[in-house]
Amino acid sequence: MDLKQLLEKEFVILDGAMGTMLQARGLKMGETPEVLNIEKPEMLTEIHREYIEAGSDIVYANTFGANRYKLKKSGYSVGEIIKTGIKNARRACEGTNALVALDIGPIGQLLEPTGTLTFEEAYDIYKEQVLAGLDSDLIVFETMTDLYELKAAVLAAKENSDKPIVCTMTFEENRRTFTGCSVSSMALTLEGLGVDAIGVNCSLGPAELYPVIEELCNRTNLPVAVKPNAGLPDPVTNTYNVTPKEFAGLIEKLIPLGVKFFGGCCGTNPEFISEVKKVLEGKKYVKITHDIPAACCTPSNTVIIDRPRIIGERINPTGKKLFKEALLAGDMDYILGQAIEQVKGGADILDVNVGLPGIDEKDMMRRAVKAIQGVADVPLQLDSTIPEVLEEALRVYNGKPIVNSVNGEEKSLETVLPLVKKYGAAVVGLCLDENGIPKTAEGRFKIAKKILDRALSLGIRREDVYIDCLTLTVSAEQEAAMETLNAVERVKKELGLRTVLGVSNISFGLPDRVKVSSNFLTMALTKGLDLPIINPNIESMTAAVKAYNVLAGYDKNSVEYISRYGQQSVAGEESKTPKGDIDLNYALENGLKNEGARLTEELLKNTDPMEIINDILIPALDKTGSEFEKGKIFLPQLILTAGVAQSCFEVIKNHFAKTGEKSVSKGKIILATVKGDIHDIGKNIVKVLLENYGYEVIDLGKDVDYQAVLDCAVKENVHLVGLSALMTTTLVSMENTIKLLHDNNVDCKIMVGGAVLTPEYAEQIGADYYAKDAKESCDIAKRVFEEFYPQGL
Amino acid sequence: MQLEKLNRAEALRYMGYKGGEINENILKITEECEEALLKAVKPRLVYKVFGIEPAEEGIRVLNTSLVFKGKDISAHLKDCTRCVMLCVTLSAEADKLIRFYEAEGMEKALIADSLASAAVEQVCEIAETEIQKQVGEYHYTWRFSPGYGDFPLDIQGEFLKVLDAPARIGVNVTDSLILIPRKSVTAVMGVSETEIPKGRRGCISCNMKDRCQYRQKGLYCYW
Repeated sequence: MDLKQLLEKEFVILDGAMGTMLQARGLKMGETPEVLNIEKPEMLTEIHREYIEAGSDIVYANTFGANRYKLKKSGYSVGEIIKTGIKNARRACEGTNALVALDIGPIGQLLEPTGTLTFEEAYDIYKEQVLAGLDSDLIVFETMTDLYELKAAVLAAKENSDKPIVCTMTFEENRRTFTGCSVSSMALTLEGLGVDAIGVNCSLGPAELYPVIEELCNRTNLPVAVKPNAGLPDPVTNTYNVTPKEFAGLIEKLIPLGVKFFGGCCGTNPEFISEVKKVLEGKKYVKITHDIPAACCTPSNTVIIDRPRIIGERINPTGKKLFKEALLAGDMDYILGQAIEQVKGGADILDVNVGLPGIDEKDMMRRAVKAIQGVADVPLQLDSTIPEVLEEALRVYNGKPIVNSVNGEEKSLETVLPLVKKYGAAVVGLCLDENGIPKTAEGRFKIAKKILDRALSLGIRREDVYIDCLTLTVSAEQEAAMETLNAVERVKKELGLRTVLGVSNISFGLPDRVKVSSNFLTMALTKGLDLPIINPNIESMTAAVKAYNVLAGYDKNSVEYISRYGQQSVAGEESKTPKGDIDLNYALENGLKNEGARLTEELLKNTDPMEIINDILIPALDKTGSEFEKGKIFLPQLILTAGVAQSCFEVIKNHFAKTGEKSVSKGKIILATVKGDIHDIGKNIVKVLLENYGYEVIDLGKDVDYQAVLDCAVKENVHLVGLSALMTTTLVSMENTIKLLHDNNVDCKIMVGGAVLTPEYAEQIGADYYAKDAKESCDIAKRVFEEFYPQGL
Repeated sequence: MQLEKLNRAEALRYMGYKGGEINENILKITEECEEALLKAVKPRLVYKVFGIEPAEEGIRVLNTSLVFKGKDISAHLKDCTRCVMLCVTLSAEADKLIRFYEAEGMEKALIADSLASAAVEQVCEIAETEIQKQVGEYHYTWRFSPGYGDFPLDIQGEFLKVLDAPARIGVNVTDSLILIPRKSVTAVMGVSETEIPKGRRGCISCNMKDRCQYRQKGLYCYW
């Protein structure tokens, strides 16, 4: 018997709770249940046997928490626990057709960006479990709440075994998991990754889970598995409130939704399973097939391509000097700034391209994808010409992304499409091949068809193929614009595919480009363009899409349009201030970022940039700094002014980039929140202030390895290192980092800060300076560079 | 559990505010952050009630593997026959929002972070009221958390495990003993059949709670 054969039955009956059974046999709360696999194997076999006798077709081995992290203190290895766990279950199955599942739960550590465990570490932990559990018949991942963790788990299972995979996640009544994952994102992502069944378990009883299960059944064509709790627990008695008969009655109501697998979670026992078996007797499985729409997603945001959606084009270094500089410096904040600006501008999806000669594009792509998905809740379009870079991005992306792109060349089809299939992405197909871009709509249509056919033959869904008919520059080839539009129309109508276009290219070389671009955009939309790739910060471009959605009837009752534009007359941080009346000092004092940038721009027309810095910005910063020291203003006000100054410096930096002048650095400083610590607000505040004063800050982030600080200090020849720690438990990491720097005789001073530090303790652990706040860290920097390293900038 | 509004005075105190005029922009940002937090966070509570008995090193929690070690927790739970172990969290949504603000502008991140710290304290108070309502009319001590006094912080992992907090409300702990989501709290309240001396009772059961000078400043008379 295997899972495939089992699926031929009307229903598959799973088992009930393990923990509940073990607790009834004396397991104390807080103990590690998996050690019983070795210490009391007969007891485990007996429990599995009871479930099989009650009707379970599949029993879950007692391996839920058998990972290296949770077993750390148990005295047993992952291999020992899992192998005996499966053996105990296997023994119970003897003489029956029941299957044994390797049961795997969450690691018990949250993944980045909320937690500290990396995606790659999670993959490794799961890989170890999968390899230890190859004697099982299938692999079950259950009680998962983080889609990212589950993706690591599924990849580990797929790449290290050929077992069928069942995934169940745990939802709350609001139909989200604890990490915010929605039912639709779960279904899209897991179906894309090619698992065999998906479902829900734990958290609630079958009555409360009904709406969750209903939604799931509507969003997937995979078999659905459910394992609800026996209702809700009583905190005082630790018992659950639904009886076996009630439970089975509620299970029966789930049949019409299209559920295939039934079992129980916390609070259930063999009695529940035998009641479930009774109600399923003689019933028919209701197989419902749904049209799953074209869509991409993050865990909490599913973007259905049922109307034009904006893809933001700004995360791309082509033709952008500052972007290139940021990439070379590994400055992730710059990229995040671009991401947030576009989302606020109205982007539904962000294109991410970090290709630049001289950088490790694969490494940069991984870092960029992780960082962007940590702050921006929109799906990403992963953009590279190098398959290895695409694969890296596809691995670490959380949700269902778009791949940009494949084209009609054989080599491209062969390398890119299998990646799209493996990772369950959508893909942009460019209408070009080894002969270049066909001049005619017909030629491009043919390539689109070729790409589609190849994708379908690999099992990629038609809905997941988006075609880019390619925009050419109208000033160079005037007749090409209409060819592109006609191709869009044909691909949309005749192939029924979603279409993509990079719009901005149309107006290259013409004056007042936006006029041409936005008109071309509107024309393309009426021809059936679904995914314009544009700069969403250009209001008339975004507005063209939003208005089109009203006119074409997608934006029902103009809800989206009104919410975007209805408030315009009253919105805006600075609307009350008459523009002519204020100067840069006013903007700085009052925290007006946009005004600060605008006024700096104005001043640059007839003022030397260094004059602006030295005569306005620095004195303003000094003033707020000293007011802060005197207690006249408090921290948010200091940061607010620093923020305005930052936006002014951005403008000046831009100016330098254009004129080719070099901005002067007062010195390089490393900042890091030490290993084990993840509180980085304080460190980031220090960074803003130091940058304002002209220091070049290398921000290593949080939870930083000792070695990483050392390596960076040596490589970049840095003379001042700032370390931050907020927990008594992480002060030791600070001490170790300092020791490592000293042991290696790095020629640098070290300043430390953080809530739990004292000047005495700072001295004790070998720091040169204790900074009580962000302002003081600037004073220290000034002193260090003036006194010790006046020449070495 | 639902939060209606956040304790701004408390949040300002966390930001180092000691009185005086506040920049209008700061107030506006505070409002914006408060609104966003209220919309985003999903406060959650899990608690269980256990019998307790004195043990050599501290207090044994019956039916669990736990022993609360230390003089301070022993003194806190003196004469109590049971205890409530609880964990509350503002949810990962709070962390996510603060992360977004960090990329947008540090003043917002700082303000949102402080508001969230105030919020988790409010959630603790709501939780306490809720628990007392559910568990019944007994006498309760105030909430004592791992890390207070000599009550070791390294109990967090086992504490969460006993509460099944990772599965029930999504709270975990890192190797350096930081609770994640960040705005989360674990605590123990003693339950007694007989009256508890004033110093251990906590604010909720104090009839001064609405007028207390300490509370208005975000301080406690007992800690």
